[in-house]
Amino acid sequence: MANQTLLATSAFLHWKPVKALNFTVEPRETLTMASFAAAKGKKDALAAAIRAAYGADLPKGSGRVEGNGIAFVWAGPDQWLAIAERKDGRDLESELKAALSGIASVVDQSDGRVVVRISGSDARAILAKGIPVDLDARAFKPGNVAITHASHIGVILWQIDDKPTYEVALFRSYVDSFAHWLLDSAAEYGV
Amino acid sequence: MRIACPYCGERSLDEFLYSGDATVKRPDFASPTAANEFVSYTYERSNPPGMHRELWYHSAGCHAWLVVTRGIATHAITSVEVARDVALNEKPATKDSI
Repeated sequence: MANQTLLATSAFLHWKPVKALNFTVEPRETLTMASFAAAKGKKDALAAAIRAAYGADLPKGSGRVEGNGIAFVWAGPDQWLAIAERKDGRDLESELKAALSGIASVVDQSDGRVVVRISGSDARAILAKGIPVDLDARAFKPGNVAITHASHIGVILWQIDDKPTYEVALFRSYVDSFAHWLLDSAAEYGV
Repeated sequence: MRIACPYCGERSLDEFLYSGDATVKRPDFASPTAANEFVSYTYERSNPPGMHRELWYHSAGCHAWLVVTRGIATHAITSVEVARDVALNEKPATKDSI
């Protein structure tokens, strides 16, 4: 058998740009991500360490906060997903393991999950077709987070701004199924 | 049916898995009658009408285990508790309780 080399490829290899007036989809490919969970009895110590290192108060319940060059997304009881731009070799797994040694378990998510940014005035109606959470502006706002599913694909969803702009984190291998559903949902909006 | 997850708010049934009776207690394996007690613990359910205490798992959400008190004829839910809190309340506090 010939020697083979494994090459990293984009999770969005099969995606093509879509053009629509009120709807944009943007894969966020340059992220470093890690999830972490408080060790037993270390919830307060974890909150203090994150505040000291990044100037952010971890959301106690569902929510997303930004710190210095980083965002923290609630990912379940006493669990969070940390997200940052992967520039200058930044690696959140090793960074958080060093900062949270003994007070949290840290797991790399950079290759396991991907983040898709979905924006525009039609985005809410398009997402609402497959997401069983009330996305109305009165019920779901910037900074809110929902762990749920989009057409049966497990997602963590959060809102960034009032355009509205949403971001969805999902497991990498589901991106083609997710795109299929998203484009079907968007068809009536001229996508 | 919708279940009000204490962490996520009210969510549709399709995000949850039913995971059995929340009232059964695992027997002591060292008891001389352990074999009979484990048969009862594993298989025997009386299924009375009225309110049941059930374990539900928020599998497509926050992954919390919940104890749901639900009327099996009406589906009316009177309480949803975090299973960890229920368990911690049942046993005496220890120094490393969360």
